[in-house]
Amino acid sequence: MILTLAVIFPLSSAFVIPLLHLYGSRGLRLFLPIMGLGAFVLTLAAAASGFGDYALAFFGGWPARLGVVFVADGLSSVFLALAAFGCGASFLYFYEQMGTGPWRFYVIFFLLQASMNGVLLTGDLFNMFVFYEIFSLAAYLLVSYSLTWQAVEAGLKYLVMGTVGAFFILLGAAYAFIATKTLNMAALAASFPQMPKATLIVIAACMVVGFSLKAGAFPFHFWLPDAHSSAITAVSALLSGVVVKVSIYSLIRVSLLFFGDALPSVFDVITVLGVLSLLGGHLMASRQQDIKRLLAYSTVAQIGYIMIGVGMGTATGIAAAVFHSFNHMLMKSGLFITAGRLAEEIKTRNIQDMKGLYYHRRGMVLAFTVLAAAIVGVPPLNGFMSKWYLVVASVEKRSFLAALALVFGTVISASYYIRVLSVFYTPGEGFSEHESRRPVLAIAALFSACCVVLGLLPFFTPIWELFVEVGSKALNTKDYIAAVLLK
Amino acid sequence: MIKISYATAIFVFCIGLYTILSKRNLFKTVIGLTIMESGALMLIVTAGYVHGGVPPLIPMEGQAVNPLPHAFTLTAIVIGASDVALALALVIKVHRRYKTVDLDKIRGLKE
Repeated sequence: MILTLAVIFPLSSAFVIPLLHLYGSRGLRLFLPIMGLGAFVLTLAAAASGFGDYALAFFGGWPARLGVVFVADGLSSVFLALAAFGCGASFLYFYEQMGTGPWRFYVIFFLLQASMNGVLLTGDLFNMFVFYEIFSLAAYLLVSYSLTWQAVEAGLKYLVMGTVGAFFILLGAAYAFIATKTLNMAALAASFPQMPKATLIVIAACMVVGFSLKAGAFPFHFWLPDAHSSAITAVSALLSGVVVKVSIYSLIRVSLLFFGDALPSVFDVITVLGVLSLLGGHLMASRQQDIKRLLAYSTVAQIGYIMIGVGMGTATGIAAAVFHSFNHMLMKSGLFITAGRLAEEIKTRNIQDMKGLYYHRRGMVLAFTVLAAAIVGVPPLNGFMSKWYLVVASVEKRSFLAALALVFGTVISASYYIRVLSVFYTPGEGFSEHESRRPVLAIAALFSACCVVLGLLPFFTPIWELFVEVGSKALNTKDYIAAVLLK
Repeated sequence: MIKISYATAIFVFCIGLYTILSKRNLFKTVIGLTIMESGALMLIVTAGYVHGGVPPLIPMEGQAVNPLPHAFTLTAIVIGASDVALALALVIKVHRRYKTVDLDKIRGLKE
């Protein structure tokens, strides 16, 4: 029940908002915070219900083979929690800044949240495609929401690339359906190992190309820097923090469930894509003068880190990838909110024009510094912990090239983040003397505090063992199949 | 028989992909998207084909065709239509600013 509600509640919120708007803004002011809070709590509840054991919801009472089923297991729980926190933070930020005025934004926002929860929960390949397209459409709309020419162009570019990716996923799903006559993911996983290799390769190629296009991995990354840098601040944080993570989740889910036993060479391809996007993203980021573009290219690189973890295909690798996804959500959402807010206040995104910002906006720049240090991987912050585990995973798998790339990428990222920070801390003049408003500072401080806490937590609590358990559970496809099909 | 239909579907899909990759006109890009979609949908529809099959209605004589792919196709058509509608809306917005839909003349965002 709770699984269904996690999708239904935001979806009906998106439907109700225009109706409330018809009856004046009072209802909207009253109900909008409730909707945001409700979506947050329900998503977290769905995450909690699936964390220990498999939680299932059958639509219309049909068994999994005949109907659509929602499955929450450890992997989807972690990503649901990630989505809840990322969406919540960006909702808070936007609500603080704009209030209830731009009600259309909230319609798209709740549509996005509902469909993301849908992708994370569904156990049916075609259903996943449908939710995927709803959330992509909402994301295109959010990118071009401000209707400036950059936003419109970036949205169009994102739309074309994203739709091409979607049709590749659809093609893969069609092949899988032709081969097995089913679209339930557990049933597909059960019948894939008996299939001829050529069929598997075609399906895997379609899926990997589709999901990489959607996630913005290196050879397919063209749209990502434009989309993430042209959108308004709250949307940039949401896109970089949560939306790409949902694509990563689908990649992990599909590659483990379908090709984990049947076609292990998929993981090598994912590793290569990861290494490419890591190096490419960092190299492109180091050449940027626009702070939001720099952060967007850094996202490409961080997707590379996560994909390397996925490509290891071991419990440690998956655990490190999931841990890094969570950390990246915190770091990059925080960075986009702080940097975006600073850029809005001083009305430029050029890094060179931000000289001496520290002496005028102490709180925001300090938060930015902590977050940048975390994403570079300064111990003992959370970025260091997850990168450490990623390196450990790739050394365990004896792919030293990937480990080298991880370390080398960190060096490049240190160079460009230090460039930004040195500009911030060089004395300079010419900014109006007013500190950002309290709530924004609080959100930024919360993000940086989370980064510190998550960095220290693995020393005191067995949080890493929790992630390893999630990873090994995600690898254990037999349990998944049994849990879904036999109930 | 069925092999030809598969090949046709993939051929159509590739035409759409080629259109998107090679044409510099935004309208042709959108047309390419719809062609790609049609290719993928054709493949799904052929998946339900049974040689000599009858419609899957209750007084049934002989083997029925698989009705599931048609439901998928209808859903996917709706999704494709909304994608294309949004794409065209954005193309109109781009055209209002630049008075052209030629990608070579629209160099707003740097690579």
